[in-house]
Formats: sequence, structure tokens, C-alpha cells
Amino acid sequence: MSQTVYWIVTILLFTAGVYLLAVMERWAVYGRLELTYPVKSWLSLLGQESVTPRKLDMVFYETAPLLFITAALLAAMVLPFGQGSPAIDLATGALFINASLAYVMVAVLMAGWAPNGVYAMVGGWRFLGQLIAYSMPIVMAITATVMRAESMALTKIVDSQQGLWNIVYQPVGFLLFYLSSMALAFLPPFDLPVAPGTLAGGVLAEFTGVRLLIFRVGRLVLVMTLSLATTVLFLGGWHGPFLPDFVWTFLKTLAVAASFFGISRFAVRIRYDSLLAWSWKYATPAALFNILWVGILLLL
Amino acid sequence: MELTIVLTIAAILFGIGIYGVLGQTNLVMIMMGVELMLGAAMLNLVAFWRFMHPQTFSLQMFVLVIMTVMALEAAVGFGIATQRFRSKGSVESEEASDLKG
Amino acid sequence: MSTTALILLIFFGLVAIWFGWRVFMTSSMVRSALSLLASMAAIGAMFLAMEAEFLGILQIMMMATEMSIMAIFMTMFMMDPGGMGGMDMSHQKIPSIGGGMIVGALVVCIAAFTAWGNMALEVPLPDKQNYDLGMELMKRSMMIFESAGTTILVAMIAAVSTALPYKSDIDGN
Repeated sequence: MSQTVYWIVTILLFTAGVYLLAVMERWAVYGRLELTYPVKSWLSLLGQESVTPRKLDMVFYETAPLLFITAALLAAMVLPFGQGSPAIDLATGALFINASLAYVMVAVLMAGWAPNGVYAMVGGWRFLGQLIAYSMPIVMAITATVMRAESMALTKIVDSQQGLWNIVYQPVGFLLFYLSSMALAFLPPFDLPVAPGTLAGGVLAEFTGVRLLIFRVGRLVLVMTLSLATTVLFLGGWHGPFLPDFVWTFLKTLAVAASFFGISRFAVRIRYDSLLAWSWKYATPAALFNILWVGILLLL
Repeated sequence: MELTIVLTIAAILFGIGIYGVLGQTNLVMIMMGVELMLGAAMLNLVAFWRFMHPQTFSLQMFVLVIMTVMALEAAVGFGIATQRFRSKGSVESEEASDLKG
Repeated sequence: MSTTALILLIFFGLVAIWFGWRVFMTSSMVRSALSLLASMAAIGAMFLAMEAEFLGILQIMMMATEMSIMAIFMTMFMMDPGGMGGMDMSHQKIPSIGGGMIVGALVVCIAAFTAWGNMALEVPLPDKQNYDLGMELMKRSMMIFESAGTTILVAMIAAVSTALPYKSDIDGN
């Protein structure tokens, strides 16, 4: 397949995925299935007045939403949808995902600091602790998949799962990556930075209009990117019988995203101290155990 | 020519780092100056690798060691800062003259 | 080195210098920490322009976390973290500016007046680089790399034990 066709198909599928995710989120939160809801909601946010707080940090206030969506999109660009090369084929693709997702944290921190509000700042610093704690399991779970593929290129990682998917080969790694992805996208059991109810909207409380729209879409893009990353790293990417490779990746990604939203519908928000304790006391040692496990399996 | 450009950029960063270390009063700001200086050193090493010895990977390994040193410097520095702040209520270097023997 | 790469190299170098300068010129502490992050990320981008792909991406990744931690410690320890009080946080201005400029000028002179010899034109492909770096780490320089790991462990223990409160503080004395 030529590179141009590949690009067009990838962009179309990704956009469709983000739209469907918006529908899915609405369904998970309010229990209503409306296909036109995202258009209406986004248009209304576009028309909304942009209220800015007093004595704000203007540079961060403008940069934060853009950095948020850019970081999520950059991570998506290296993930392969189908056979052939992805949008950007990096030899260090697996590391690049981590690198760009780390800037999600910087964006949320900026957004928390900028509006000069107490709740927003508490939410921003909370997310800093949460993401530092949960980026450890993410990095180590990715390391284990890299060990199996013996390459950091994502196409090679998918190729290495030809016979056996990584979810069977390293179930602990999958579980850690899955939960840490939810923490990274601050989906409900881990939604401490926004925490409606205790923080009154937290980081996003002071954002209105176009900037809030960028944040909302950016978060959907983030969830889509993380689902795609889960598919590529653990669920065998494009491997599957009968259907073409693009369709398989797309279906698996949507299934992962649906499971994210499904869990977040029924889960209770975790207290921040147990959130950190779980990560440092249990998840990080488990991730190290996972690396050991994969190492032993590789040597056998 | 390219090597000289990169080395010049690194030298300017190093100079800014020295200014930060000497001119700032707060411990955390001083650490930022040190980080800038280490960043300049890393830039030099990568430039030497790229333009002089592309086949020698000890240079890249040295960059990894410097990154480790940056992280360690931050960790130990923050440990000291926490203790200092807890006992004296400030991490200003002007107020740290009681550390003199 | 291609012209595009050279232009990118100079551009990111100027970005790194500009943000490195901003670190000490702003009174808002979060701005200062994130300027340092921008400076470090620009250095990472320079690594990428110099075709050291792994190191560049590693630099960009590590600095995001490290400088965000810097930001929270700055707001914890500074008397005026938001920079709205307009406090002057510097001392011994003339010696420090002079020292910085003299040292910088000396290093620039060394860089400019040394005969560096021939420049290498080609570097290995990123795949090959990753492989060679791994072989270097795990074969010839393994001892150095392992001692770096041990140093990390020692520093972690040292940092935690330094930061722990005294027993008497816990009892409330």
C-alpha cells in the first residue's frame, strides 16, 4: 500500500474512532446512546463565551490545551494501524510513546497553575503525583514487550505477536499497562485531577469555550491513543483472521476503549493516598516481576 | 564548522548555568543552574559522537551516565532541601551561613 | 550533514539558549521550571537533529518528569512562588554575571580555535545505533553501567534518609 493511501486511511479511521469514543463516553456516563450528540456538544462549546479568570498566567493558559492535544496526537502518529510502515516509523517508537505521553502531565500541570485558582492548582499537583507513580508501570510494561520483540520499532513488536499475543504471554504486563493507561487518561477510578464532587471540576474548572473544547477532544484523542497502544503492544495489533488488517486494529481499539469506559462507569474514585500506595508498593514491583518473567520465558 | 556551532551553543548554556549557580540565592534555583551545565556537557558529548567518532558508542553511554547524574543530583538535592526547610524554614543560601564549621 | 538538519540544529540551539536565559529572568517559579524543561527539550531536539535518536527521545522523556518535580519543589520552598510580590532572588550580581561571561567566552574560544580535524559525514542507522549502544552497555562498559545503577540505589537511600524527619520532630518536640 502506498504511503499516501496509508496516511488517508489512518487519519480517517482515527477521526472516526474519536467520534465514536465521544458517543461511547456519553453512553457510559449518562446511559444515552445519541449518535449526533458530539456534534451538538462541540458546536455549543465553540459558540460559548471564553471567560478568563483574573490575574492568570496567560502563556500557560493558552499553551496548556494545545500541548495536551499535541502530546496525545504525537503518540498516535507512531502507532501502526496496518501492515506497512506507520505514519512515522521510528526505530525507537516504543520509547517515543512514553516521551510524548509524559507531556500530557506537563500540560495538565500548566492548566492547573495557569488560571490562578485553588481547586485547579490542587488538581494539577495531584496529577503530577499520580502520573509519576503510574508512568513507572507503563514504562516497564512497554520494556517487557520490547524485550520480546528485540526491537523498539512498533511494527516489529506487532510482528513478534504473530503466534501468541502479548496478553497471553505476559498477562501481568497487560494488566499493569491497562490500569496505568486509565490513570494516565484520568478516567473515573483515577479521575483525581478533575474529581467532580470533591474538587468541583479541578483542572478543567476554569476553562470555558474553545479551550475546554480542545481539552475535551484532547482527552478523547488520548483515550483513543492509549487504546491503540494497548492494541498494538498487547493485543496483537493487526493480526486476526478473515478481515483486513486495518479493520482488525480498529475493532480491537474500539473494544479496548469501550472496556475503559465500561469500567469507569461502575468504579468508585480511589483516594489519593491509596492511589499512590498501590502504585509504588504493588504495581512497580509487579512490573519488575513482569520483566523477570519475560526474561525467563525468553531464555527457556 | 557544525561542531564549532554546537560547541558554541553548549558554551553559552554553560555560561548561563554558571551565572545561575553563582547568582541565585535559592537552593532549587542553584540546582537548575547545575542542570543547565550538565545539559551543556551532554550536548558536547553528543556533538563529539556525531561529528568525530560515530562508531564509538562509549560516548553515547557517557551521555546516559550524565543523565543518571542529573537525576541523582536532583534527588539528593531535594532530600537536603526538604531537611533544611524542615529544620530552618528556608532554603536560601544567604541564610545558610550557620553551616560554616 | 544536510542543510535542513543544520538549520534545525541552529534553531533549536537558539531556543535552548533563550529558554535557558528565561529560567533566571522570570520571577514566577513554575514558569522558571518549565522554561528549563523547554530548554532541555530543545537540547533533546538538537540530539535528534544530530541523528542520535535514542538519546534525543530519552532526554525529552526524562526531562518532562524531572522538571515537573522541580516545579512542585519550587512552589514548596520559595517565599514568593507566583512571582507577584516582585522579590529579587539573586545576589552577588556582578561577580556572577562576570564569572558566567568569562567562563562562557573561554569555552567559546577553545571551541573556535581548536583544529578539530575532519568531520564524520555518515552515522549508523537508528536501528544499528540502538543495537550497538546495547552491546556497548552490556559488554565492554558493563562495569560502568552497573556502577551507575548502584549509584542510583545509594542516592535513593541517601535522599530518603536525608529527608526523613528527626525522631524528636515526630514526637512533637
